[in-house]
Amino acid sequence: MKARKAELMVGRAVLAFMVVFTLAPFVALVSAALQEAGSNPTGLAWPDLRNIGNFKTAFQVAHLPELTLSSVLLVLMVVPAALVMASLAGYAIAVRRVPLGGIAFVVLLAGLTIPFESLITPLYYQMRDYGLLNTRWAIALPLIALFMPFGVVWMRAHFQGVPRELTEAAEVDGASSWRLLWSVHLPLARPALTSLAVLFSLWTWNQFILALVMVEDPLRRTMAGALGAFRGQYGPDLVLMSAGSLLIMLPTILVFVAFQKHFAAALLQGSVKG
Amino acid sequence: MSRRSGTVSGSRRRDRSLSAGARRRRREWTGWLYLAPAMVFYGLFVLQPLGRSVQYSLYDWNGIGVARFVGMDNYIKIFDEPDRLTTLVHAFELMLFYTVLSVVLALAAATLTRRLSSGAAHAARTVLFLPQVVPLVGAAIAWSWLYSSDGVINETLRGVGLGQLARPWLGDFDTALPAVGFVGTWVMLGFCMLLLSTGMAKIDPALYDAARVDGAGPVAEFFAVTLPGVRRELTVCVTLTMIAALASFDVVYVMTSGGPGRATAVPGVEIYQLAFTQAKVGAASAMGVVLMVLVLAVILPIQRLMRER
Amino acid sequence: MSLPLMTGARRRVRRLALAGVGVTLVTSACSAPGPGTTTSSVPSGNVSTALPTEKTTVALYLESNFAGQMTPLTEAFTRKYPNITFSVKSDEFANLLQNAQKVMASPEAPDIVRYPQVAAAAKNGLLTNLDPYAKAYGWDTWPSTLLDQMTVNTKGVRGSGPLYGLGIGYGSTGVYYNKTLAKRIGMTQPPKTIDEFESLMAKAKKQGIQPIMQSGKDAGLAFPYQALQNQFGNTDELKKWLYNEPGATFDLPSSLKAAEVLRKWARAEYLPSDVNAIDYPTMMGRFAKGEGLFMFNGDWEASNLQKNTKGNTGFFLVPGTSASAPHYAMAAPSSFVIPKNAKHADVAAFFLNWVHTAPEARRLVVETTGSSPGGPSGLALPKAGSELQRQTLAGAQEVASENGAVDFVANATAGILAGALSPGLQELATGRMSPRDFVDSVQEAYESELGR
Repeated sequence: MKARKAELMVGRAVLAFMVVFTLAPFVALVSAALQEAGSNPTGLAWPDLRNIGNFKTAFQVAHLPELTLSSVLLVLMVVPAALVMASLAGYAIAVRRVPLGGIAFVVLLAGLTIPFESLITPLYYQMRDYGLLNTRWAIALPLIALFMPFGVVWMRAHFQGVPRELTEAAEVDGASSWRLLWSVHLPLARPALTSLAVLFSLWTWNQFILALVMVEDPLRRTMAGALGAFRGQYGPDLVLMSAGSLLIMLPTILVFVAFQKHFAAALLQGSVKG
Repeated sequence: MSRRSGTVSGSRRRDRSLSAGARRRRREWTGWLYLAPAMVFYGLFVLQPLGRSVQYSLYDWNGIGVARFVGMDNYIKIFDEPDRLTTLVHAFELMLFYTVLSVVLALAAATLTRRLSSGAAHAARTVLFLPQVVPLVGAAIAWSWLYSSDGVINETLRGVGLGQLARPWLGDFDTALPAVGFVGTWVMLGFCMLLLSTGMAKIDPALYDAARVDGAGPVAEFFAVTLPGVRRELTVCVTLTMIAALASFDVVYVMTSGGPGRATAVPGVEIYQLAFTQAKVGAASAMGVVLMVLVLAVILPIQRLMRER
Repeated sequence: MSLPLMTGARRRVRRLALAGVGVTLVTSACSAPGPGTTTSSVPSGNVSTALPTEKTTVALYLESNFAGQMTPLTEAFTRKYPNITFSVKSDEFANLLQNAQKVMASPEAPDIVRYPQVAAAAKNGLLTNLDPYAKAYGWDTWPSTLLDQMTVNTKGVRGSGPLYGLGIGYGSTGVYYNKTLAKRIGMTQPPKTIDEFESLMAKAKKQGIQPIMQSGKDAGLAFPYQALQNQFGNTDELKKWLYNEPGATFDLPSSLKAAEVLRKWARAEYLPSDVNAIDYPTMMGRFAKGEGLFMFNGDWEASNLQKNTKGNTGFFLVPGTSASAPHYAMAAPSSFVIPKNAKHADVAAFFLNWVHTAPEARRLVVETTGSSPGGPSGLALPKAGSELQRQTLAGAQEVASENGAVDFVANATAGILAGALSPGLQELATGRMSPRDFVDSVQEAYESELGR
């Protein structure tokens, strides 16, 4: 029993250390953000709440309202479309078992290993040829495609988990394949879809290289892409930059807190299941 | 032959829904209508650029003028020019931090916190997801600040009388790459730990009891029960962290852009600079192809190794 | 963030490698990338020097340092011509270098771009040939030394051929010093020779004062490096190299000697110990806060420094090897180009002409950029506001009169800064690369980029 208690103590200490380690950069950022604007902040200064106005200043100079709108627009352009396509494809492969579906699946699976950087150069010229550079489409269209491997694999895994009898029973009742998907499978897929939606939204929000390459105007980029530009524009003022960075990261943290369970489930299961 | 042997169990089903089966066969190809949107997008914006990448890599092209076919020159240069080869070496060095350090520490942490199940422990674990949630660019800015000359790390060192260790971590040739790599550890560690914790929670407690009965100490227990029990999760961790190390871009681009000198030049940043700064589209594409092959070359053996054991 | 990989399907991973190859073979069996013909830049000839009467928004793409300086000009212009307004996008200098060609090639190209590498852009057919405007507005009668750097011939060599850009402020460089620190080490007047300059730095070092504040992270070391290089002779050869003349080389005695001296300064710790972690904004911040006796920089910072140090900054030209040596300075117009895809090229040209000739605009250019406004030689120079600006302006005039203006080495090719100069100088300053290797590496990158 004693050994057990010691083990728990060690465990708590380790977990506490992990939490501190994870939070350290954020704490440092808060400390910097609350020092006097325009000053050269130093490492361990105690946050001065009188400088809370820095956040307001950063909010304005970082064009946060426009940026949020831009990122939300991008999420709306990407996530619903990606969810629909991934669901339909997962359904076709797992439930309808279309001919050559296995090969299609393997080809999609290959996409999981492709680094974005390997595609970015040709994608840029492709977008230039389509005349889409500097529009959000140049980020959204490739992103939808790049989400397909994970999305299809994820939805296929879900549909495979649904008992086959359910499908067959519905077919015997004369349900069309569309009706089968709509009234039998999709309602069951709601948790899987929610998780996928949360992941896709965050990945869109945080997408950097596509935003950096495809869109010149930071205000038409993703949050992460804009954060990169923000760093350039307000580089001299480390204090405001810290405040701005925190503000730009805040929405992701809020989404995470709100959808915590889905997020955890998605990331942990998503990477093992399949 | 094999089909025939299957008829015994299949016959009942067939009797019941013969007409449905016939209909389904007709509908089989129409099922592609469901698959089509995903495949079209994937084909247009993943497979097509993939092919173009290979195509471009055989040309000398500045992105605007006329392209000149140069065969394998761009590939030869990657292994011929020390500057480009270095980026590949750095990618593997990053693996020490993204993969080795993260996975080892995550295993230790997950093992040591295995028995914690209180609400506080649950909340604490949730916090560990944060690095996976916030944009990497934000993390990079925060870490740049931690590492800066007057940043927290140096101030702390000075504060505890280790001032001689203080240095501009990202501006120093010897520390820049480890400093960047450590951010990778920060990003991956919590996630790996949680993944491994989930795996450990699924291990049958009877196995531990059996090990105890056999007189196994904590160490022997770890190797006999815990490690084999989380093999799947471990494979995932190793694979994901390796891809993250090889394909690192956001963190390096924001923190050092490859400097000082070429101390933190990695393939991702090199591709970006070749393509969009130096207008060497062919060279950038060749680097992209090599990176892709490298990822496969690294993860395929891992997948097999972990599976066979 | 990478997409998590599913291991459940791992046995298929081996097959997918094969699938990938198949796909690749199919899709790459098409023609060579890029357009089939070279883009030519034949001027249209139909240019208008009149402003449109309808509402027009001119799009500018600037470096962020310059965006603030541009505002008074654009506002003054809009006050005068209310139907013309401006939209401004800006980026950090290094980002701008990386993005500008991309931006100009896009169909949504801005109308005026701050772009230093005129030759590369002109060669790629991205720019509007300004000769018709030069004729229409009489720019061809302005002092040619100002505009030569922005002419490019068909081979991509500068110094001859059509005009592709104009400057807003013809900037010049030198050394800023902190007056308080200078007093403390007993510097009563600017050094007359490099030796004097070095002994001042030695004195500062002894008193615990940082002799030079410079940014190594983003190639700020190119300032002291080229400052030395210019004083050590071979400037004509260097200009040929800068203008990409066939056969030109960076392997000059002056290049090597400058590298040796810079390394000596680094060893003597005249450069900050964390030089490679300092970027341009940090350098400006730290110098303004009193860290650093000297800073190699350009007259475009005069008004900033005047304001941020409350008049505690002075300026002198880089001294020569002897007191009687002519003065040299890196000097280049802040070149502004009109992309070929610009929608309002005529308005852009009208605006650039106005900036050079209208008295109000010229006064604003000097006030905001600290640099000479250029334009017709007959027009009087506006009076500069602060003492520091008078110093920088006088310095620039002295350099111009001694014919000592040399373009920046960073402007030689589009990729030379990121590809060779920046990493090379960082390695040189930390003793990881010998002066010989540095010079060779720059030339090698230059040749590789120009396909020689």
